[in-house]
Amino acid sequence: MLNDPLPVASRTQTRSAKKHADHGWRLGRLNLELRQYMSPWYQALILGSALVVGLGVSAALLVAAGVKPAALFDEFIVDNCTDPENLHSILFQAAPLIFVGVSAALAFRVRFWNLGIEGQMIWGGIGATAVSFYDTGPPALRLFLMMVFAALAGAAWIIVPLWLRVRWHINEIIITLLLNYVALNFLLHLLYGPWLDPKDNFPHSPQFRAFERLPELGFGISSALVLALLFTALSGWLVLVTRFGFFMRFVQNNDRMALAVGVPIGLVTMVSALFSGALSGLAGFVIAAAQEGRLTQSYFEGYGFSGILIAFLARSNPVAAMVVAILVAVLFVSGRSLQVFYQIPFAMVQLIQAIIVICVAASEFLMRHRVHWVR
Amino acid sequence: MVAALKLVGVRKSFDGFVALDDAEFEARAGEVHALLGENGAGKSSLMNVAAGLYTPDAGQIFVDGEEVVLSGPREATACRIGMVHQEFKLVRPFTVVENVLLANWRGRFAPGVRETERQIKKKAAELGFDIDPKSRIDELSIAERQRVEIIKVLLAGARILILDEPTAVLTDEEAVRLLKTVRALAAGGAAVVLVTHKLGEVTTFTDRVTVMRNGRAIALLNSRATDAAQLTQLAVGTTVASPRRASSPPGEPCITVKGLRAARADGHVTVNDTSFYIRAREIYGVAGVGGNGQTELVEALTGVRAPLAGSIEIEGAGDATRASPERLRDFGIACIPSDRFGYGIAGGLSVVDNFCVGQIGEGIYGSWMRTNGSAMREATTEAVGEFDVQGVRTLRQRAALLSGGNAQKLIIAREFTRNPKVIVAHSPSRGLDVRACAAVHERLLTARARGAAILLISDDLDEVLSLSDRIGVMTRGRIAAEFEAPADRQAVGRIMVHHA
Amino acid sequence: MLHFVVNWLAGTPSFATPYALAALGLIISERAGVLSLGAEGFMLVGALAGVATELQLGGYPGIALLAAMLTAAIVSLLFAFLVVFLRVNQVIAGLAVVFFCHGLTSLVGTLGGWTNRAITGLHAVAIWPLSEIPIVGKILFTQDIVVYLAIPIFFLVNYVLTRSMLGLRLRSVGENPEAADAAGVGVSLYRLGAVLAGSALIGLAGGYLSVVDVKLWIPDISGGRGWIAIALVIFARWQPWRALFGALLFGCIEALIPRIAAAGIQVPQYFLLMTPYLATIAVMVWAAMTKVGRSNEPAALGQPHVREERR
Repeated sequence: MLNDPLPVASRTQTRSAKKHADHGWRLGRLNLELRQYMSPWYQALILGSALVVGLGVSAALLVAAGVKPAALFDEFIVDNCTDPENLHSILFQAAPLIFVGVSAALAFRVRFWNLGIEGQMIWGGIGATAVSFYDTGPPALRLFLMMVFAALAGAAWIIVPLWLRVRWHINEIIITLLLNYVALNFLLHLLYGPWLDPKDNFPHSPQFRAFERLPELGFGISSALVLALLFTALSGWLVLVTRFGFFMRFVQNNDRMALAVGVPIGLVTMVSALFSGALSGLAGFVIAAAQEGRLTQSYFEGYGFSGILIAFLARSNPVAAMVVAILVAVLFVSGRSLQVFYQIPFAMVQLIQAIIVICVAASEFLMRHRVHWVR
Repeated sequence: MVAALKLVGVRKSFDGFVALDDAEFEARAGEVHALLGENGAGKSSLMNVAAGLYTPDAGQIFVDGEEVVLSGPREATACRIGMVHQEFKLVRPFTVVENVLLANWRGRFAPGVRETERQIKKKAAELGFDIDPKSRIDELSIAERQRVEIIKVLLAGARILILDEPTAVLTDEEAVRLLKTVRALAAGGAAVVLVTHKLGEVTTFTDRVTVMRNGRAIALLNSRATDAAQLTQLAVGTTVASPRRASSPPGEPCITVKGLRAARADGHVTVNDTSFYIRAREIYGVAGVGGNGQTELVEALTGVRAPLAGSIEIEGAGDATRASPERLRDFGIACIPSDRFGYGIAGGLSVVDNFCVGQIGEGIYGSWMRTNGSAMREATTEAVGEFDVQGVRTLRQRAALLSGGNAQKLIIAREFTRNPKVIVAHSPSRGLDVRACAAVHERLLTARARGAAILLISDDLDEVLSLSDRIGVMTRGRIAAEFEAPADRQAVGRIMVHHA
Repeated sequence: MLHFVVNWLAGTPSFATPYALAALGLIISERAGVLSLGAEGFMLVGALAGVATELQLGGYPGIALLAAMLTAAIVSLLFAFLVVFLRVNQVIAGLAVVFFCHGLTSLVGTLGGWTNRAITGLHAVAIWPLSEIPIVGKILFTQDIVVYLAIPIFFLVNYVLTRSMLGLRLRSVGENPEAADAAGVGVSLYRLGAVLAGSALIGLAGGYLSVVDVKLWIPDISGGRGWIAIALVIFARWQPWRALFGALLFGCIEALIPRIAAAGIQVPQYFLLMTPYLATIAVMVWAAMTKVGRSNEPAALGQPHVREERR
């Protein structure tokens, strides 16, 4: 009987009813497998739900911290939509956030974890202030020079971690982060030392002159915002349209393969990272020249993480990063008014951002895996 | 007689892909039972179910007639089922003893190294293996690692022993030795399942054979009463004619490699003084057991890894020893890597991107300022048609969704559209089914007829023997011997093992 | 001069202890394959929990340190859940957790009114008569209890990691989770346990900073020490004793900063404050340049494990 191929169907008759009797009580267990594909609509749905959960948790936290639910609605929605003053602050706040968001997005595109955004902002601010402090160049060119110096200083601050990463494969996460502390100490050295404002002896630089400040263009639009939009457009073109951007996609997705098919990954990585550093430097410049009008001790605080959050939510797309940055600006502005009216520390804004990132990151679990119940 | 292991109505799918569809299997104590089928037929999946690694969507598992529920490898071990996987489940920086201990924890805090060492030595002596329990897995050869796996599984008390393609990584001689050991184990009362796609092993070394196709067990035969023709017919369905080689005289040397030396990332020198040349209209086959420097040779030739010494010369371009991958591609080198989803394709990007990246530097898809999407799509559509890449629903689809065979065809489309002068193909048919495999071979022969110099590196000796014009045998990082086609299989095999 | 050196070396252990404990905690979780970038955050949580406990109880620094460990372990559950069970990218999860802890601690510290309030903290214990030995006595035997405890903790962890079945199984999870799984080791369970145990030690390091060293809580009190500890682990090639050596090195550097100012040597103070960070970078470069052969890095560090993966 063994000699002829047995059709399997006839052998399934042996299946007994025993299984149901024996194992009917079993609860089964969760089974996890990797998903190959998920439709964009479903992905959007999951992402949306994650955002809703994140915002819900944040709202609950705010209520727990003493904000009345009705006030919450007023603070975040009504005021921001109706009050032109608020709208103005949001657009004002959005400019540096757009810069850091796009900066992080460019670095992510080549898998360079730029956690040194704050350090690069510090250097951007120092570069711009140096031009003002040492009275360099004619007044007509002053703002332009400040901008160029800020961008160069920001880019310069990323050279060391970039070189260490490309040449020695040293993890850039830690190096960029530690350099933030170095930059901060250098800033403090300047502000408590040579750049101390002689007028009031406070640790900030002397006030910029009028022609060293980014002007308002009317209708509540600051030239800082226009600059931010210009650089977003430039980055968007670079990433989405050019051959360089085509190469960036390969470096991000599979750098081993990119190397093998002749993508110049060293060049692509370096140019993107330097550009990222320059954009962070510009963020520092924008805050110094448009918001504060001088170099202060803490103008960069919190922007590093916001940049990463923005790039993460925008999937490293510069244009999407601009949109997300404006939404984060809403959070910043509302956070400030909560600080004023409810004495809730500004750290709440940071906490809310972290909660949103955690929720969205967790939701990717559902996009990458299929979970099913096996009995 | 009650079967030692019996699987009934097993169904398993991976995210919609049905790997097992109502599969049946049984093995008795005292027999060597072959599980035969093509790649992707579901052999490994079925055995992973039996080993507790995969949870089936439906179906039952019986051990000695008792139904069991295996919720993990630990339960499988408790049922005395042990599996030697194709990719060994060994922790490489650990010693042999530590690996055995890992799988045989008796709940104590201290490991009990001495006692386990004694057990390993005893078991090794029984099986005729020579293994030092104190050596690190890193330092062992593939064959030795496999012996460690077998000892590990047996010491865990396995009475149902599953071996997943055990001979795929062995030379002919090592394979025969292993299969004899396996027979001895069966004679001692164990039920041995031998997963394989080699017909010769089935007819010579096993008692019964279950043939699988498309996730189903389609036949159960007595091994002695069948023959290769019947098994092929069952396993493949239709027979595919192997491509015929047209003989044309080779031209001048196209690429010359002299005294090449290259090291792995960890500093270990794996390519040591390798020299060979390949002429135009010639396939130069490199035979050898995997891990003898093949990967690093490919990397050095494609510019991914800088060689430590030696030279690579390409006719018409001159010295190309430390050229970057971009320059080498400009010189006319193309590569089909062995790890196709690791080095051949960016899985997260679209089919268009993956095809066009090969030639985008030449400016045919728009200038550096603006890539021309429609030109890219047109070129891709054409290539997908010409190279018969199946399963492309839209060009925007992620390349990771392609099956292995179609991903390989896409890589070949990208690499061959440029009419390369030199082609480096590393295990180009690994893991492909018979049809895809034939298509890949056909492409290589076409490229050869067109005038390319082809380096074919493969672990599969049959592939090398059937396609190559000249064959070099690579052992311990150098070409130990060269043969003109047609080469004697035995002679090549001897060099592979003995020329250490 | 001798006085300067003795005072400097006697100050070293209390600066080295947080680095040593945090690095040891990181080694535990990284040996199991979990890249714990959240260390800086867990240190902050430990620091705040320690001060808050002591302020609420009005003393009991020992309990405060236990609370620091416990709280850090509880917060690390969030991280463990993300990376072990949800298989979130470990870098993203680690960063998110750091910023979460940053925000959480400064918020809770302010709302609870625990910021900038001095506590009595834990004091040094002289081990008489050993403390009376000239020079050595002051350096080695006038430390606080945590410094003394750190040594047996290192022995214990090193012993468990290298000599016990528990350690063998834990390391197998970090080296090759597929093999560990096939050998019946519960990969998720071991990773969870490693993260919890590791972050408890990191929390203790944070608690030490606030309860023993500074004796108050201010936001961002850890000042990047968590990141330095991560670099230390790379420098130490994932081996506890080398990590202890590295921690002592950093303790020396940090202990030198206040001494130099006190000795009246004119160096701009902010440049001095940069030195630990610059030293860390130097140490990482050194580690990368001297890397020969195996680096001892757990092979599956940062890799999620999914059993039913199909290629």
